[in-house]
Amino acid sequence: MVVIDGQITPDGLAFINPGDVESVEVLKDAASAAIYGSRGSSGVILVTTKKGIADKPKYNFKYSIGQKREYKRYDIMTYAEYVTMLFDEMAKRATDPTVNQATNTVTAGDRAAYIIENQLLGQGVDWQSESLRTGTFQNLQLGISGGSKSTKYYISGGYQGDEGMMNKSKYQKYNVRAKMDLELSKRVKVTINLNPSYATRESPAQNFTNFWRMPGWLPVRHTEATAALARTNPLQANIKAGDYAHQRHFNGLNYTGTMPDGTTWTGNASAGGSAQQNPRLEVDRSDINTNEYRLQSSVELNVNLLPGLNFKSLASGYLNYSKGLNFAQRNANRDGDLNIGIFTNNSNTYLLSENTLNYVKTIRDHDITALFGVTTERTNVVREQTTGLDFPSDDIRTLASAAQLDKTRSFGTKAIIGLNSFLGRLTYAYKSKYLFSTSLRRDGSSYFGPGNKWGTFPAVSAGWVVSKEKFMSGINWLSNLKFRGSYGATGNNRIVENAWVDLLYGANNPAGTATGNSTPGLITLSTIIANPDISWERTFQTNFGMDISLFKNKISVALDVYKSKTDQLLLQQSVMAFTGAQQYWNNLGSLQNTGFEIEVSSKNIEKKYFRWSTSANLSRNKNKILELGTEAFLLNQGERAEVYRNQVGKPLVEFVGFKTDGVWLSQADIDAAKAKGLTSTLPAVFTPGGLKIVDMNGDNVLDNNDRTVLGNPYADFTWGITNNVGYKGFELSFFLQGSHGGKLVNGDPNYNESGRLIRTYNSNRWVSAAFPGDGKTPVTRGTGFNWMLTDYVVEDASYWSLREVNLSYAVNAALIKKIGLSGARVYLSAQNLYFHMASNYRSLNPEGRFQNGPYSSVLIDGYQRGSFPIPRTFMAGIDINF
Amino acid sequence: MKTLIKLLFAGTLFITSCKKNIDRYPLNNVAIENYYKNAAEVQIALNGCYAALRTTLLEEWQMTELRSDNSIMGNPGSTSVPNREKSDLDVFVPSTSLASVYTYWSANYANIRNINTLLNALSLNYDEAGGTLKRDSTSVIITDNEYKELSAQATFLRAYHYFNLVRLYGGVFLIHEPYTGANVLQAVNVNRSSVADIYKLIIADLQYAAANGVSLNYTLFAASNSGANLGKANAWSAKALLAKVYLTLNRKSDAIPVLNDIITNSGYGLITAGLTPYADVFSVSNEMNREILFAVRYKAGGIGLGSPWPNTFAPELSGTAVVNGDGDGFNIGTFELENTYSPADARKAFTLGVWPTPTTAVTSNSRRLYVKKHITPVTLLDDAENDWPVIRYSDVILMLAEAQGYSLASLGLINQTRARAGLGAAPLTLTNVPNDQRFADSLAKERRLEFAFENVRWFDLLRYKTTLPAITEDAVTRMKSHFATMFTNHYAKYPSPAPTLATIQGYITNDKLLLPIPQREIDNNSHLVIPQNPGY
Repeated sequence: MVVIDGQITPDGLAFINPGDVESVEVLKDAASAAIYGSRGSSGVILVTTKKGIADKPKYNFKYSIGQKREYKRYDIMTYAEYVTMLFDEMAKRATDPTVNQATNTVTAGDRAAYIIENQLLGQGVDWQSESLRTGTFQNLQLGISGGSKSTKYYISGGYQGDEGMMNKSKYQKYNVRAKMDLELSKRVKVTINLNPSYATRESPAQNFTNFWRMPGWLPVRHTEATAALARTNPLQANIKAGDYAHQRHFNGLNYTGTMPDGTTWTGNASAGGSAQQNPRLEVDRSDINTNEYRLQSSVELNVNLLPGLNFKSLASGYLNYSKGLNFAQRNANRDGDLNIGIFTNNSNTYLLSENTLNYVKTIRDHDITALFGVTTERTNVVREQTTGLDFPSDDIRTLASAAQLDKTRSFGTKAIIGLNSFLGRLTYAYKSKYLFSTSLRRDGSSYFGPGNKWGTFPAVSAGWVVSKEKFMSGINWLSNLKFRGSYGATGNNRIVENAWVDLLYGANNPAGTATGNSTPGLITLSTIIANPDISWERTFQTNFGMDISLFKNKISVALDVYKSKTDQLLLQQSVMAFTGAQQYWNNLGSLQNTGFEIEVSSKNIEKKYFRWSTSANLSRNKNKILELGTEAFLLNQGERAEVYRNQVGKPLVEFVGFKTDGVWLSQADIDAAKAKGLTSTLPAVFTPGGLKIVDMNGDNVLDNNDRTVLGNPYADFTWGITNNVGYKGFELSFFLQGSHGGKLVNGDPNYNESGRLIRTYNSNRWVSAAFPGDGKTPVTRGTGFNWMLTDYVVEDASYWSLREVNLSYAVNAALIKKIGLSGARVYLSAQNLYFHMASNYRSLNPEGRFQNGPYSSVLIDGYQRGSFPIPRTFMAGIDINF
Repeated sequence: MKTLIKLLFAGTLFITSCKKNIDRYPLNNVAIENYYKNAAEVQIALNGCYAALRTTLLEEWQMTELRSDNSIMGNPGSTSVPNREKSDLDVFVPSTSLASVYTYWSANYANIRNINTLLNALSLNYDEAGGTLKRDSTSVIITDNEYKELSAQATFLRAYHYFNLVRLYGGVFLIHEPYTGANVLQAVNVNRSSVADIYKLIIADLQYAAANGVSLNYTLFAASNSGANLGKANAWSAKALLAKVYLTLNRKSDAIPVLNDIITNSGYGLITAGLTPYADVFSVSNEMNREILFAVRYKAGGIGLGSPWPNTFAPELSGTAVVNGDGDGFNIGTFELENTYSPADARKAFTLGVWPTPTTAVTSNSRRLYVKKHITPVTLLDDAENDWPVIRYSDVILMLAEAQGYSLASLGLINQTRARAGLGAAPLTLTNVPNDQRFADSLAKERRLEFAFENVRWFDLLRYKTTLPAITEDAVTRMKSHFATMFTNHYAKYPSPAPTLATIQGYITNDKLLLPIPQREIDNNSHLVIPQNPGY
């Protein structure tokens, strides 16, 4: 959760201008996060924005500009290279007596595609380049701060422009932030925050995957040669050079040309056969634009009631309204398509009222604070979509001019979500040496049904600053030593509205004479069944920590060890489908997380001109399911029915599938195994060159009982190191970061387009008994059990990376004073300069994960397919203060 | 201090108002527990049960027509996942995790839940031991007539779903009460029921629907309720389905009186008038005509009720030539079926279209036989008008012929549909159909031609072994012949390594006539072992 100036801002980090940030604080342990209750269960990031100080006006100007490009692309063969490989394989099989020579051939379609690419186009089309580009981004900001003793202000205005790495992807934002601190009287202070912004967003109509999987023989637009070929089909007589080409234009035509082996081939064939539209056409003919209007505003009133007793009231509103139009021109997707405009209006109105009484008292060596507060939050969510069809022209894009409305693609939903909280906190410190605090929070959420709305979350913490003890006063090298410990509970209510009550949804039906009339109907929801008893998920976390600073704070170490138990997990539990639904909302089971974090920072060298400092962190987390009610395990399926298991005593998610032992090298290899009694009920298990399943349970039958755990998506440990080296005004910093031991399921090899044409999946593949390749890469995928999850697609997600390098120069203070400035800095920075991926990882981004559809469930994790490249960015900037 | 008191006072007001803040109720939907209060609400919920038939129909052609000898997967060389899965179904090697096998299963059970929820509100309960429905007192405000009319339709729909499930998957799970709340977790204690127990429920439901449904004859039914009843299941729909259940169970003597009752009293009949009587049965300007005992209804016009079939079945990459918005090229007809039609048969040209042109050479690589029967013009993608017939009157008379067996009367019944198809000049006689075997083959052929692509053929093939024991080819033999006929043209084009004919013929066994129970259903239960169908 992100809190900006006391206000919860769900998309806070993306939303705030870095130049406006004064400080950032991260709350990790339960006791310090407890005050934020339900929303703080996975940690809290507190952002404080800049405010004015009583002085004459100060100006700050920042500008940066940079570019980003993909770190790595798919290594895709051109189609001619692919067909050449097929001919090579055919030749290798030609002398093999075990190969049926009648079927040892290259298909007519592949030959036709070869002719188009090799003889009509001359070279393959690089479809990745049709989607990717170098994106330019820039950031401009001007800030002014100042004020008098009673009135202080900070005002900034900014522009952010960000081109994505894909064509037609762009984000632009204009924003203003104004913060005023008013001292109305000695007792009354008011802080006002206003942050309006306007942003535009443009998105491409097709994702990257639909580009790279286009075969290289398909031209983006017809050339004279390909148009002439397409016109040989009388139904395509109108195609001319310059028109967008589709795979279907090359179906059922007569081809003649030279093959890679020098022979001449003539035949009737369909080069592609895929119905997939030319993605470039879809992107070019569709415009997806969203305008986003936001206003974040708050007023905070501070009243000093009695000495030490303060009343604070914060009222804030966060309005986020977006209005979009997704317009597809005629024939943008399929031939005969009407033009379609999808108009969206979405608004989120988030209101918060927070009222606290805070009492602070110091009696000699005893510091006491007490806090009591009441907060109310309300979020109104409105989503509306209206779809218009058949506009008189592709240039007229107003809903009123649509010839008809499409009800199937129109909807409107509303929801109001409320949260009420009471909180209290007491802290006590003796000589700033012994620290205690205790807090209690009660949250009531509208996500839960009557009787289950309220959750209670207590927390206690204690600290001992050992270095302040008298007996430590003689130890000079120890500047600070502190032990701390805490125990606290937090809650989680992150589910959908109305998960506690089964609802009926509209399902109209035509009835009556002639073509019938639409009559209203209602049906139940077939995806998930409500749970009237659903309530808070709770996390109880114990933390122990230690802070040490040595040699006048030259070296400081922070060590944290934690153990947490989350129970009543909010899960979408899979249920038997014959109940009429797939899942059930449930508070089920409990999960344990244990781990540690170490942070070390060291000022290695501090000379007059030369400085070098290092900070490093290392963390490790292990999770384990403690119980799942009466269940021993749960199983969940992803998009290809690959299985994710949640088993008691094991990590939350494990991949379950077949272990393989390379490929079947030959039919003889299979016959030998069968002769020993090996059988199977699974389809297509015994294919020469296909994956060879290991009979895990040793019963000589290859079946679903042989599935075993193939890994889990969780990293064993993650780390980061930052080094800062400075000389005079120059400063160089570089940040390395890594994650090790996690696994992922790579869906790409299971898909024909990728498995066939990407070199990482097809090189060294099995060809025949005499040419078994590396004995591990199967010849063909996409039949029978090859669709099931095997260890062939489970890969190592470990990586380390040079995340950021930054070189800056602060102009000499004396020099800039002469030209009337108070400070100036120029810098260059680069991100993802180097990215080291595990040797068995075959795609582009080991951090990429599917998050939608079945993958939104916490019980499924670690799947990627068609991952988007990692961006590598270079940036230059300047900061001036005057 | 005054300020403090004021603030505390304001605070108290605030706290009392804040209870309302978290007592939120759905703004877009109605809760099940607050619904089904009166007949009007039950009617609306029942409309929803009809609407859900469109969802189950989505996958049905893959479970039935695709696995029969009428249809093949249109794109044999394709290696895309959805196409491979269709090929796997086509040649009887579906993985137990195959997506559509699960989707069809869960869509049927989703609507069974809708129906059970409705029947539960009406307190019409099924007694498993007795195999009977029992009407208990209900709090729904409803007249006796309304009760019978609405509950009869709901039981008809439940029987329709279970009848499809039991024929495709065997003994499925017998669920006749809705699952709600924590109750849903008890489902892991339920195992599969026997085929006999499933049929017990189906027969109880259909007998109830036949006895309590509207039994007006077709003309009166079409006029009743200002015509609004058309499309709803009535007593005759239930009787026709019941007869098919009896026939499937080879209870011919039970089927015959039910069928004769329909023929004598229902007012339903064959469309024989006009120049194109067979085409008129399916015409969008003649929906719910006297031949349609029950249909899944669609309606065009961008209101979300349109039929997807024209776009699904039109040839792939045909642009706008066959239907606006191109086709997916699924459910491609076999030339084996094409050749079964005699040239004079009016049903041939109406049922099958040839792409790219009607004259495309049979040997051409790109020749596709697409299901013209279900194609009507569309303005919007997947938004056609034409209904999907479930039971037609011609089925009633041909079922009677099947139940009666070889006789002059039975041949007369077959001749009725043949005559309507323009084959009246060459009637079947005791001379040209001299024995049981010829009768069985002729009837099977006639049913195949009459109901092609109406998801009827596969169920017929499963049944003939018992109802027409003299038939030359049982289902397994028939499919082996089908593989042989279509091998060069289709199955040999499977992606490398292409299977041999012997391999594909080896795939079809008596076990494989049933689909697998979806693997998810077996995996999901850590309490009971759910038996998979043999052969999987």
